[in-house]
Order: sequence, then C-alpha cells, then structure tokens
Amino acid sequence: MFRHDYRDTQRNRVLMIMANVWLHLHPPKVRRHAIRIRFTWCMGGITFLFFLVLTVTGVVLMFYYRPVAEYAYADMKYLQFDVPFGMLVRNMHRWAAHGMVLSVWLHMFRVFMTGSYKAPREFNWVVGVILLTLTLLLSFTGYLLPWDQLSIWAVTVGTNMARATPLLGHEGPFAEVVGVTPRYDARAFLLGGTIVGPPTLLRFYVLHCIFLPILASVLMILHFWRIRKDGGISGPL
Amino acid sequence: MAEVTATPAHARPAAKKPRRPSPVEDKVHCWPYLVKSEFICSILLTALLMVWSIALDAPMEDPSNPAQTPNPSKAPWYFLGLQEMLVYFDPWMAGVVLPTFIIIGLMVIPYVDINPKGNGYFTFRERPFAISVYLFGFLVLWVALVVLGVFFRGPGWNLFWPWEKWDPHKVVALTNVDLPYWWPFKWMGNPKIHDLPLLGRVFAGTALGQVELLGLVLTILYYALIPAAWIWQGKRSAALQELGPVRYGIVAFLFLTMVSLPVKMVMRIFFNIKYFWVTPWFNI
Amino acid sequence: MAQDAPVRGREPIPDPPEGTPNTIWTRRDFFTAAGWGAVLVYLGTVLLAFTRFMFPRVLFEPNPVFDAGAPESYLVGIVDERFKNEKRVWIVRTEEGFYAILAICTHLGCTPNWLKAENKFKCPCHGSGFKRDGANFEGPAPRPLDRIKIVRTPEGKLVVDKSAIYRMAPGVPPGTQYPQSILKA
Repeated sequence: MFRHDYRDTQRNRVLMIMANVWLHLHPPKVRRHAIRIRFTWCMGGITFLFFLVLTVTGVVLMFYYRPVAEYAYADMKYLQFDVPFGMLVRNMHRWAAHGMVLSVWLHMFRVFMTGSYKAPREFNWVVGVILLTLTLLLSFTGYLLPWDQLSIWAVTVGTNMARATPLLGHEGPFAEVVGVTPRYDARAFLLGGTIVGPPTLLRFYVLHCIFLPILASVLMILHFWRIRKDGGISGPL
Repeated sequence: MAEVTATPAHARPAAKKPRRPSPVEDKVHCWPYLVKSEFICSILLTALLMVWSIALDAPMEDPSNPAQTPNPSKAPWYFLGLQEMLVYFDPWMAGVVLPTFIIIGLMVIPYVDINPKGNGYFTFRERPFAISVYLFGFLVLWVALVVLGVFFRGPGWNLFWPWEKWDPHKVVALTNVDLPYWWPFKWMGNPKIHDLPLLGRVFAGTALGQVELLGLVLTILYYALIPAAWIWQGKRSAALQELGPVRYGIVAFLFLTMVSLPVKMVMRIFFNIKYFWVTPWFNI
Repeated sequence: MAQDAPVRGREPIPDPPEGTPNTIWTRRDFFTAAGWGAVLVYLGTVLLAFTRFMFPRVLFEPNPVFDAGAPESYLVGIVDERFKNEKRVWIVRTEEGFYAILAICTHLGCTPNWLKAENKFKCPCHGSGFKRDGANFEGPAPRPLDRIKIVRTPEGKLVVDKSAIYRMAPGVPPGTQYPQSILKA
C-alpha cells in the first residue's frame, strides 16, 4: 500500500494517489476549487465517513444483539448497562445515523445550489436520490431493532402506509379489484404476518444489516466512480 | 495526458506575472492538498461524534407494547415532515403517492432543468424558478414541517405552543367536514355524477355515479391550469418554447401537486376541511 | 480505416435472394429476442417465487379468540377498557347490548386512547378522533373504527373473536352498518 516515501516531488505526489488502493478513488489532480470547503462543504465525504462509522459500530453491536422478540430489548439493556463501552457504541451508531441523514440532505442541498446536477452529471444525481432513499430506509429499518415503544409504533405507522398502497395494500384504493387481503398484501410482505411481531423484527434485521447496506454500497461505488467519469467535482467548465 | 502548464499553488511566483489559468487548467495535486483536508475533516468529525456520544445518550423507551401507543407518538425528527403530511391526506396519498412523487420529482430535476448555465453560474438571478421551487420544497415542506412536528405537536397530535403545557385532555374543535358541506358550497347540496341531467342516468346505480361532482370539477380545473398556462404563455415565452410541452407538463404537474400540500394544510387547519373530493375508491 | 470491415462472428447479413417473401425479423433477430426473452422470463419467475416465499403458509400469531367474562360485569354506558392492554379491544355496553371495538386506528394502526371526559377515542399518532360508537369525526382517519364479533356462549359467557372483523365503510354511521355486530342484551 505505502511503497513511496514522503519525498515531495511531482512524481511522488501522483504515485501516492495512484498506487494506493484507498486513495486511487481520487484522480492525481483536482481543480483548485474542489478542495475549497466553502464550495463543497465536504458533505459527500462526511456522509461517506458516517456510513463507515455506522458499518463499524453496527458490526460491533451485532456481537451482542439478537433479533428475537424475547431477547432484543434485554440485549439492548445489556449493551447499555453491562457491556463495557456498549452504551458508547450504541450512542455512536444512533447519532451517526442522524448525522448521516442530515449530511445527505445538506450534500443534496449544496449540489442543487451550485447547479452541479447539470450535464453531464444528471445520472449521478439520480443515483444520489436513490442513495438518499436508501439512507432513510436504513434508518427506518434500524428503528425497529431496539424493540421499544418508539420502535414498534414508528414501524406500525410506516408499514401501515404500505397497507394503503394503491392496488397492493388491502386498505388502498382499488384493493378489491386486485383482491389483496390483510394476509397477502404489501404490508404482510414487510411484516411477515399481519401484526408487527417477531417475524417483522427478523425481516427488518436482515434488511438493515445485509440487504440495504450492500445495495447502498454498490450504489455508492457507482456514485463515486461517476464523479470521476463526469469530470470530478463540479465547477466552472 | 498532456502536461498541465498551469502554475500550481505551491510553485514560486515567476518573474513575469503568469497568465491567469482557466478553471480547467487550474489544478492541484490530490496529495497532499485534498487528502490533507479529508484527513483533518474526518478526524474532527470523529472527535465530535465521540464527544457527542459520550455526552448524550441515545433514547430508549419502554419495552414494546402493542396495546399502548405513547402520547404523543413521534417518528424520528427527519420523518416528522412525512408524519405531518399524513395528518392532511389519506395514507395512500401522503404515505405512498406523494413520497413517490417527491423521489421522482427529485430525480427528474436534471432532465427538466434545461438552463445550461449551471456550473459556476448558480446565483439566484441566473435561475430564479429552479432555486425558488427547490427552496420552497426544502425549507417549507421539509424543514418547517420538521420544526412543526418537533416543537409544536403534543398529545393527541394537537398543536401546542412551545411554552404551553402538554395537556392530553386539551379540547380543540376539529370536527371535519368535506368540501361540499362547507358553507360556500352548501347551497349546491353535494351533487354526484348520477345527478347529472343526461349522462347521470347511465351511471346511476354504479360506483361511478357516487363520485362527487364538485371535487371532480375542482380537480379538473386545478390541473387544467397546466394546459391553460401553456396556451396563454407557451407561444410568447421563449423559455417555455425551449422547454417543450412534455417537460413543461412534467414540471407543471409536479409543481401543482407539491403546492396542493400547503393548500390542503391551510384548508384543514383554518376551515377543518377534510376531503376535497370523495369517490367510492379514494378520497383526496 | 475501412468502416464496413466485418466484425468477427458478425458477418453482414446478405440481402435475401430475389423473390423471397419479405420477413420482418431475420433468424438472428428471432433467436436474440428469444434468448433475452427467456432470461427475462426466468428472472420474472424467480421474482414471483421470491414474492411467494415471503408469505409463509402458517403464521404464528396470538389466538384471536378470547373469553370476555360474564355479561353482568359490564355496566351500561361504560366503554370497558379491561381487555385493551392485552387484546386491543374495547367492549361497550349500551342499553341495547354489547359491541366490541378493535383498538386499532383506521388511519395508520396506532392504539387510540379512550378519553372519558371528552366522550371520544383520540389517536396519539396523527390526532384522529372517534365517537363512542366508533364514528370518525376529526383528524385524518378515513373511516370509523372497526368492530369485531362478540357472542354469548351457551354457558352465558361473552366471547370475542378478533379474526371476524366488521370492516366499517366511510361516511356511514357505524351503528347502522352491521346489525350483527351488536350482541343484544
């Protein structure tokens, strides 16, 4: 990874980037405005950093947490009161999740305000919107896991919106045309039953820890790669 | 790649004043300039998150109880805009259709915004419409609703001023009526499709006959603003000509749908209007 | 550089001999479409199978039927909350008889609270309000609270079956919708 000394030569500066598996995400050179905090707010990078923090703390939490209705809440209490630094890890995971939502929104706000979604970056903006949705879904699925009051009511309300989906939910418009029932509709698909219960917890756990993070990672790779392909961080072309 | 001839920031100033480089040529090395700020930024942020997490514990409520909903029951702050929307529309609309429109609307932005002057020319004067609409959506429909949800909603999802005591027995007259029963329209007596003079007899007895006329007419009139504005301004406005009817239609439809949220909020909060339009299948 | 140089494996298709009937698709077009079509059909079938996979045949959920005690223990004019915490059901005793209301808001499924002083049910999630008979009158709830089946056993006990839901239609007073939802005293 680090085969070059720190001699400050033009060649070494390029090699530091090109020959490093982590840094080669960057081009050897960027436009001067791209490193100005005032221009980028560094929000995309901060979002990615939050994602990394969430991945690490999330994996650490998985050592103690069991996604079973009888144990989930007790495991959370165990993490909070008995496991050394358990509370800290849980706090970091929760606050980083809040931070990630905030930084995604601010990133989007900055990109819109500087007109950076315009050609040739249209497609990358679309990828970004999907990533925003995934961020919200990740935090939504994570909310069920502590299995406390906030969890089940947030998820009850959230999944009951699925119940109201036109055509696919049994309370939605035209449900009787399709013939969906409370047992077989979009909500039951999410819940694994007709109530927010143990199967729901397991489903959300799988979505939260496996499915959505992998999907988000794939799209992030696409997102970062497209930044390079579309000419780097936007600026006067 | 051709060697970039621009003067990097770290180079000694040449004796002769150099030509001002174009922004494309004006490049600096990622190492150290970009990597340095990324490194500092991530250290600062990690430190901040660490301190924040030591100082503030994440909330944890009572164990889940499917029979007892906390009063008030609030979603995490970033979903409170959505929760607020759910007060005004039926769940299929506020929970499914409108969020889908928000996502689609955000996605189509780069394809309907044909103003080429983006990078470097992003002031308000260069693109007043784009920035106003986005700020309206961002500040009013998201930030303001989040603030409303966090600070102004109390037990029973009633509105409370921040200095008011949260009284779960606060009585607010919230009895809703549908639009045809609101006094300006009361004289009409809620006509349905089966009340139409000639056409009505065909639909009498079917579900279609139960569709309210007032809401139907208002909805058609509301979205008829789209072609009306095109006919009125389309030929005269160069911007509209360039946009073309399809992109104009998409923008106008999404814009009107977005505006329908504050319209509905005002009608509910100040006049207790529940539905504009009642049909056997859905209500708006 | 020759623009028309044949790509390996993709010889240009020669013009058909004179007199051949005009076909829309060449054989190559047909096999390409058939191949990709097969892939799409396969993926679609897998998606359908996965969708079905997510709906188990048996659900392990609490028994919907429960014993609601002796009819005499209910007082006329009272919304009885004794089963609310365990079963999410209110049992209302009126002059006429009994009816059982499911404590699930028809808006988004929260549990409303019975406010005795105001004589209404009020949902904490989005502020929907329901009258004593379940009629929705304030907030976003689209229809009245649902009722469930309540019967008297031969021994004279009340039994409630939460799986038999009388689904209330919007805009109609709930008292008139399902006469069988009321167990005559």
